[in-house]
Amino acid sequence: MNKINYGDLLRRFSVPIMFVIICAVCAPISGLSPSYLCNEIVTRMGRNAFLILSLLIPIMAGMGLNFSMTLGAMAGEIGLILVSDWQIVGIPGMILAMIVSVPISALLGLFCGKVLNMAKGREMITSYIISFFINGIYQLIVLYLMGPVIPIKHSNIKLPRGYGIRNTVSLLSMRQKLDNLIPLNIGGVKIPVATFIIIFLLCLVIIWFRKTKLGQDMRAVGQDMGVARDSGIDVERTRIISMVLSTVFAGIGMIIYLQNMGNIATYSSHSQIGMFCIAALLVGGASVEKASIGNVFLGIILFHTMFIVAPKAGTVITGDSMIGEYFRVFVSYAVITVALIMYETNKRKNKSKAGEQLALAQEEANE
Amino acid sequence: MNNSKKKTLIYRIAAFLVIMAIAAVMFIVGRGHTVYFDNKSSDLVAEVPYKIEVKVDGKKVASLKKNERGMVDVMGQKLTMELVVTEEKGGEAVHMKVSQPLPYNMDGIILNIPAMLNGASQDQYVSEFVPVLSETEVAEETVVTDDTAGLMSFGEESEASK
Repeated sequence: MNKINYGDLLRRFSVPIMFVIICAVCAPISGLSPSYLCNEIVTRMGRNAFLILSLLIPIMAGMGLNFSMTLGAMAGEIGLILVSDWQIVGIPGMILAMIVSVPISALLGLFCGKVLNMAKGREMITSYIISFFINGIYQLIVLYLMGPVIPIKHSNIKLPRGYGIRNTVSLLSMRQKLDNLIPLNIGGVKIPVATFIIIFLLCLVIIWFRKTKLGQDMRAVGQDMGVARDSGIDVERTRIISMVLSTVFAGIGMIIYLQNMGNIATYSSHSQIGMFCIAALLVGGASVEKASIGNVFLGIILFHTMFIVAPKAGTVITGDSMIGEYFRVFVSYAVITVALIMYETNKRKNKSKAGEQLALAQEEANE
Repeated sequence: MNNSKKKTLIYRIAAFLVIMAIAAVMFIVGRGHTVYFDNKSSDLVAEVPYKIEVKVDGKKVASLKKNERGMVDVMGQKLTMELVVTEEKGGEAVHMKVSQPLPYNMDGIILNIPAMLNGASQDQYVSEFVPVLSETEVAEETVVTDDTAGLMSFGEESEASK
């Protein structure tokens, strides 16, 4: 019978356990009411879940944490900027923004997948740098081409100099339209039913996708590229498809996220989103190699509870709310760092274990 | 081209056309307008009602006395509204339902309700609202593309700025 290795278990779930402790300590200190906390967590779950779910497919294909999900986020923002200028409002505005963003996301995902195929084994750092590279192109388009080349009519979107987009674009005309489409209030907690239905559908798609031929291929590629190739799977194509899907979902997720926020920080929304989504997924107990839908939801609950209570707890303890602000930002980056260290340590440990076993087998054969 | 490839191509083209059709529908049904209601006299109407109440989707959006203006944000190409018109103070209110097509190319639309009720043509009672930019909208805006800018300053003044 297999014995439960508590040490391994503790190591595997160290990050979620740490966050449960942080939340359990900070929540009472913050003095926030349970109903307020529930409201905030439910809102943030609706806001972020779609984006974080988009990270699952590349992990399945063995490409690690997709830092280039920001590419999809940029495509979503471009869609929203254009739709705002065309004055298409409400849910139709969101749908049109998604239709505009999908081809842009798909092209960016294709490009990213091709580049990552050239940098096998270094996908995460490559995707991280690609996001900076594409951010430069995004800035060129949004700052200089929108206006003279891509027509932008409205002066509340365009910079006063006549070209480029303002730092903030208002999405008041579609703010929380999806969240409020099917209104439901349980015990003072506002439930964004329509948003949750869409998230639930994506979860079903992911579960179904895992069982398809392509999903199985992705898992095979994720486990061992060599074996997958030998068994006739087109590894490169499969990896590209995983990146395209992730980027497209990220674009749609960004539109859902921004409709909840009600405005676009044109030059910074996307750059922050990748980091926080990845951190939330890791907080939920996911690793670079393995992530599930459960990790997404646990991650959102723990990470965002910490995000809500930390500044308040910081204010109560030190009298300065900025301490809590710094704390939550540093924790997000720290979680990613810890996950990457653990990934590398495990990889090395497995490698040396395999080496030892091989040496042992050779010794036995010699004898 | 073999049959399976042909089928795939047909499916792709069909999917593309369906998406384009959805986009076209969204363009029409999702077009937002700000409609301004005027209860003002014009060349066509010398005397205006004492009070006009405007209801859209059963909600009161404006209550206009003489020379007043109200507004509502609407979606789509047609505005159906209920008007409650009181000609004189203390007089009887008349309820009426009016459907008004909205020009696609106008973001802000001014409806002169007395002229509309008087049977004037659409060109006479519909005009475009051209917004005047506020001072903050006209003022030059510094674009911040580096979100880490100022992150390490901790609110202190640098030596250079001193």
